[in-house]
Amino acid sequence: VFADVRVLDLSDESGCLAGRILGDLGADVVRIEAPGGDPAARRGPYLSGVADPERSLPWLALHTSQRGITLALARPRGRELLLRLVEGADVLIETAPPGAWEALGLGDAALEARNPRLVHCAITPFGRSGPRAHWRAGDLVAVAMGGNAAMTGDPDRPPVRCTLPTSFFHAGPEAAAAIAAALYAREATGRGQLVDVSLQECQAGTLLGAPGLERFRAPGRRSGARLGRTREIWRTRDGWVSFGLRGGPARAANLAATVAWMAECGQAPAWLRATDWARYDPNALSADELARLEEAFAAFFAGRSMRELYAGALERRILLAPCNDAREIAEHPQLRARELFVSLESPDPALRLEHPARFAADSLGACGVRRRAPRVGEHNAEVYGALGLGAAELEKLAADGVV
Amino acid sequence: MAGVFEGVRVVEFGAGAAGPVATRLLVEQGADVVRVESARHPDFLRLLPFPGLAQRRPEGGPDLEAAPMFALLNPGKRSVALDLSRPEGRALAFRLATAADVVTENFSPGVMARFGLDYESLRRGRPDLVMVSGCLFGQTGPQRHYPGFGGQGSAIAGFNHLTGWPDREAVGPYATITDSLSPRYIAVLLAGALRERRRTGRGRYLDVSQIETGVYSLAELVVRHAASGESLGRQGNRDERGAPHAIYPCRGEDRWIALEATGEAEWAALVDVLGRPAWAREEGFASAAARKANEDELDARIAAWTRGEDALELAERLQRAGVPAGPVQTPGELLGDPQLAHRGHFVRLAQPGLGELPFERGGARLAASPGQVPARAPRLGEHAREVLCGWLGLAEAELERLAREGVLG
Repeated sequence: VFADVRVLDLSDESGCLAGRILGDLGADVVRIEAPGGDPAARRGPYLSGVADPERSLPWLALHTSQRGITLALARPRGRELLLRLVEGADVLIETAPPGAWEALGLGDAALEARNPRLVHCAITPFGRSGPRAHWRAGDLVAVAMGGNAAMTGDPDRPPVRCTLPTSFFHAGPEAAAAIAAALYAREATGRGQLVDVSLQECQAGTLLGAPGLERFRAPGRRSGARLGRTREIWRTRDGWVSFGLRGGPARAANLAATVAWMAECGQAPAWLRATDWARYDPNALSADELARLEEAFAAFFAGRSMRELYAGALERRILLAPCNDAREIAEHPQLRARELFVSLESPDPALRLEHPARFAADSLGACGVRRRAPRVGEHNAEVYGALGLGAAELEKLAADGVV
Repeated sequence: MAGVFEGVRVVEFGAGAAGPVATRLLVEQGADVVRVESARHPDFLRLLPFPGLAQRRPEGGPDLEAAPMFALLNPGKRSVALDLSRPEGRALAFRLATAADVVTENFSPGVMARFGLDYESLRRGRPDLVMVSGCLFGQTGPQRHYPGFGGQGSAIAGFNHLTGWPDREAVGPYATITDSLSPRYIAVLLAGALRERRRTGRGRYLDVSQIETGVYSLAELVVRHAASGESLGRQGNRDERGAPHAIYPCRGEDRWIALEATGEAEWAALVDVLGRPAWAREEGFASAAARKANEDELDARIAAWTRGEDALELAERLQRAGVPAGPVQTPGELLGDPQLAHRGHFVRLAQPGLGELPFERGGARLAASPGQVPARAPRLGEHAREVLCGWLGLAEAELERLAREGVLG
């Protein structure tokens, strides 16, 4: 899809998903790191537990489908080389604080002067301008200020986030889509433009309209494993499943099928079998009645494994889902059948690890991981060579700490 | 300024949240997005009850316009209602889809084919069509008919297992994360494929699984497991990179501040704002490793301090000192957030029967084409006449017959 597009990626972890997406859609993405590698991106855990930037698992996971070069932006010669690379690029992605590049002489005007066709995507916590443009945030502050954390977690504990950074996961494809739109516009105008992405704003847009819905319903509050009065998350023998005890016509057949299954297993008492699910309304039940109902379902789930429950749900078309961990995902029959995972080739056999290969499927292979993550400076000779720099020049730049 | 996708025609089939958000960028950038709806099988978002609304008409049927969640997720689109159970309804849908540049849908696998609206059928009428399907599990595979919604997608993709407290249930992030991730990935495909078509004249069909977009996003989880068998789990708000990294209580009821000071510079700045207390100089907090090792005690010390502070005031002080921190804001509080206001995130437009609604824009701004929410959400079938006459050239009399015979409904 983007086979003709050249991308320079200087983003940190908050923005690196955008380049990975473009790379998996065929763009030539060149990741630029500081000489020696970026210690924040090449963090642990490391393969086999040995601290080695080439064995950083987060790096290997998040920087596929790109080539890698090193460059010291702190050096004037480094900045000049960046501008030369910009001349040949279609897209530049960066996550520098607003104003930081200006101070280095790499402001918007300088970039545009070098390449008016450049699409410059700046991913920042709050956007490039505005009263909080200079506020700092990682994922935790972004999900807190973006309205999600307040609604996530148990009511008797602090708001909580996902262990992996969901605000980055939303901003990555939003940035990539806006870059694609800017490239589309360039086909007509011949000019690139700035794409200004805010982590907070991307996060705010994931709430299903909740900010505007407070006029029509009581403001929500985080409710842990429950939704209103009823339980949504249930303990199983080996983990948890999601299963709603909500009422309403859409859920009636689902609840009836679950109780029929429980009955087959001899785990549905007579009163439960006699319940009319078409008329079931949890809000009309007394606390005791609700507790009795919950106990019956809880006992059924607690005696079975997640896989067993999911298999039954598939067979009976019940709205039940296992809260899968990494192993369950890696072994998932549906994901396996669709060949979501691939092992990437690597000169180091230990690094031939399975990755999620794509986010869309088609018969032409439009979307798919192209190559393993680059080693530090792996493509320096190739990329700088294309600028006309010879081996001797590169050696001198290396000696000067520029690459 | 004209939108980037001015002149692009999009037809959208499906229901729920994952479908409509995928075309938000196209709407903001001037595309003409037409939703094909059905009065017999309305989008379930048109049926969600809200206590603040009287949603029953006197004659007893649901009021499909008293639907604020549907409205908030579908601004700027036009709506045509067609009865797809009838051959004539399907024929009109086919003509609309093949008059469009882009078709999106998030029905269960096989539904579009039953209507004769699958890509193989549509491409015969429109060889350069760009089409994306976006159901839960994808169009192929043994479990493609699993009947889940976003809540199930989040659990299956791994987000529940990763969200919450290690000693509690796997609650998952608020809302339905595979419903919010997949449309953003679909937007990349739509914009990218439109550009490709502009250059090459070729269309594309892409099959997106909501769950797979979740797993793709969680690449770190997958690769760490592949390398060592490790399975990341719930960690509350902690981060393996360091401490403090938490949400602390503040003054007032259910008021909180998020704070990340895992680096040395941020820690030093935090200690300054704290007023350089004696405890911060103790050996147990002297290094990053020590702070991480003594995280329970560190969190208790910081919480004892934040408890008496106002969340926003404290965040402002910490940010001035260079410490990443921010108040935990509820969805309703976002309406008053000055930074989101500066970005024009909320666009207030009157929606018939619902008053003024704060419609939302995406999180990216194009400097030369900032985009806008061009209009409120459509009433069901509101634009049948203008779309069917405008796109397909149907005559008035024909339109009247279709309406009379119930095809438009």
